Amino acid sequence: MNRIEKFFESTRRHFEKGGKLEKLWPFYESIETVFYAPARVSLVAPNVRDHLDVKRYMMLVIIALLPHYAFGVYNVGYQSHMASGLGTEFWPIIWTGLKAVAPIVVVVYIFGFAWETLFASVRKHELSEGVLVTCALLPLTLPPTIPLWQAALGISFGIVIGKEIFGGTGRNFLNPALTGRAFLYFAYPAQNSGDAIWTVLSGGRTAAIDAFSGATPLSIAAVTGSSGNIQSAFADAGYSTAKLFFGLYPGSIGGTSAFLAVLGAAFLIILGVANYRIIFGCVLGLLFAGLLLNLVAADGSSRYLALNPLDHLIIGGSMFAFAYMATDPVSGAHMQGARWVFGFGIGALTVLIRVFNPAFPEGVGLAVLFMNLFAPLLDHIEIKYKLRRRIPNV
Amino acid sequence: MKTIRIKKGYNLKVVGSPSVATQKAQQPTHLALLPERIPFVKPRLKVAKGDRVALGSPLIEDKRNPQIQFLSPGGGHITDIHFGPRRVIQEIIIKLDETEEAVEFEQYSPEGIDKMSREQLIQALVTGGLWPLIKELPFRDHARPDAVPPALYVNLDSSEPFHPLPQVYLPGNEALFRFGLKVLNKLAAAPVYVCRHEKNSGLTSTLDDIINLTYTGNYPAHDPGVLLYRMKSSAMENRAWFISGQDVLLIARLLRNGVYPIERIVSLGGSGVSRPRHVISRMGAPLSVIDAERTEAASWRYVQGGILTGYGALPLSYLGFYETALNLLAEGNHRGELLGLFNPGYRKPSFSRAFLSAINQEELEMNCNMHGGERACIACGYCARVCPVDILPQFTYKVILAGEVEESLEHGLLDCVECGLCSYVCPSKIDLLESLKRAKAEVYKEQVRR
Repeated sequence: MNRIEKFFESTRRHFEKGGKLEKLWPFYESIETVFYAPARVSLVAPNVRDHLDVKRYMMLVIIALLPHYAFGVYNVGYQSHMASGLGTEFWPIIWTGLKAVAPIVVVVYIFGFAWETLFASVRKHELSEGVLVTCALLPLTLPPTIPLWQAALGISFGIVIGKEIFGGTGRNFLNPALTGRAFLYFAYPAQNSGDAIWTVLSGGRTAAIDAFSGATPLSIAAVTGSSGNIQSAFADAGYSTAKLFFGLYPGSIGGTSAFLAVLGAAFLIILGVANYRIIFGCVLGLLFAGLLLNLVAADGSSRYLALNPLDHLIIGGSMFAFAYMATDPVSGAHMQGARWVFGFGIGALTVLIRVFNPAFPEGVGLAVLFMNLFAPLLDHIEIKYKLRRRIPNV
Repeated sequence: MKTIRIKKGYNLKVVGSPSVATQKAQQPTHLALLPERIPFVKPRLKVAKGDRVALGSPLIEDKRNPQIQFLSPGGGHITDIHFGPRRVIQEIIIKLDETEEAVEFEQYSPEGIDKMSREQLIQALVTGGLWPLIKELPFRDHARPDAVPPALYVNLDSSEPFHPLPQVYLPGNEALFRFGLKVLNKLAAAPVYVCRHEKNSGLTSTLDDIINLTYTGNYPAHDPGVLLYRMKSSAMENRAWFISGQDVLLIARLLRNGVYPIERIVSLGGSGVSRPRHVISRMGAPLSVIDAERTEAASWRYVQGGILTGYGALPLSYLGFYETALNLLAEGNHRGELLGLFNPGYRKPSFSRAFLSAINQEELEMNCNMHGGERACIACGYCARVCPVDILPQFTYKVILAGEVEESLEHGLLDCVECGLCSYVCPSKIDLLESLKRAKAEVYKEQVRR
């Protein structure tokens, strides 16, 4: 028996029934089973069971998100150094990024786990791994300047209202991470909107240096109005297509890189964790709505209508949300056909919200939540259709 | 010849496939009948402890229809009757005599079968105790003797790991098998489909003329419920009958020789068997005779039937009335390796692509571990992807839990062939099969009461 096994053997009794920490059993169990799969055997047919479990399933999503964290830390540090007029050496940038990002992640995980453990121990079931993914997703959508208490409040709202009051992972109909994000956006607009929040200032500065514009591509696109040209506005701000695609510009922590989101989506599709129908549906919907707006764009209308649909795909967090938020299997549509429609709706709504509702520069989060509401209806229609084609057997 | 192509389903790649080698098992000293393992039958004992029984004398009858009897698989006396909780009859144990007395039944020639009426033939099988070998869809109870089926399916092989191969039990018995089919044709008074997998190359061509249905695809393509689901054109055909290939031989022997047939060729497979093979034994034989080379029994699960649909038996148990397969699987009641969660899993079999085993074509070791904790359904949809009869198990089981019987029937609950793939693939480890099976049995009870 090695040291880790011994550690679990000696600590388990405190968490088991009758132990001092018996209430925390779900928390203990979730930690132990990360190290060692449980010894449970099948009691009813079939005798053998697949090796895949929810833990593995969710763990793969976390692995797909790790590059976003690495990128997020670098990008936050990089933007901070640019805005504060500091150097661009690698390690100082990482250090600045870590100082901004790590506390948010730690706070989110502490609060997420606390709520999940509380509900699991009251309900007397094991801790569901969905919380790991929710806690990993939320920080990536937040501005790096978010006050920690807001991050804690956001994850609490997401987990409790978005999920637990409906019964926990598997029974929620909204994406918990986006529920928390949307709550923060509407409840605390001062800290969650505007151009200044996307860049952490360091070196004791209170304002960015003059040469630095903190404007995000989305806000540039939104303020262009009916005169001017978004493409040239992007060019003036230094946003080349490559820069937009790789995501090295002020924005949410790690959510700006369309490139990494494409890689992550491919990884999850290949492993069968994310459903390609949703992702392709999203992209199709976005391109379709973008093209449609291009067609109706007239001289006097907002130039946002004429934005190249491909630009819609790479600016902001749309690709990130398509890859990780829309593909949440629980809150998304469950039927294969409905998934296409579900995805298409998200893509199309993203463009519509961005273009026609300047109050919400990034529409994709709201689009996902909105389609979450419609997913059960889409499923219902497809199931009814499928059942009608069965030869009855009663 | 018609070929049915099954696109869904899933083949487990598991080690321990029995070879065609056969071995004669030792003559047992004790036999048993396991009434508990005969589905739906409400047994009433016809014998008591200490009674003398002959080969073929009735041991139990079905309270629902006392005509249906289950006969003694050997001659001797009853040494014990084991009861389980709520007085369920688990085992009726018979100690065999030196000279086994046998009940004599009437013998029939092929011409004799021609001359009999359908009712007489049914009566001969009911008296001979082998009527229950013919089962009726969708509930898989034994067929109702007073009904006429829309079709009868005879399946020679099975795509489930592991069952006896027809190339083992058929050679040498072709004439007997033809005789059995003659009987079935008369019994069914409806189309009789003799089916085999298109790729089963081991079968000799001597029976090619009688095989009139082939199928391709993954497990459970062989299941009569799956074939029926793909072939039926109206709701009138739902109550088809079916019988397994080896049981046709039993029926033929009974009618031909006038003696209750006892020979069973049992496949012995799974990773717990050093030499997976076939064993010639007899009905109700103790498992210790079939698996005579066992070493330590504790860490192995003795599965009667296939590894997906079979049930775990004690190593000291006996072969069930319907069973012709014994598979030994590792129990796996130990925890996983350190941080196995992050293991790429080249040797971890999975339906999903979440392990490297997705590119591994080898047959892999499988055990009875659940490989995870119970969770709520996360709607991954794997169950619907494998279901061979297009049920949506992730929705249907919720309908069942909500008590919506009518709606569950609309979902095709009765088309369920109880293959167990939905439970197998579920990452949340929900016992979908168990829910569906129970709901089906409830519907059946409700229909009988009406």
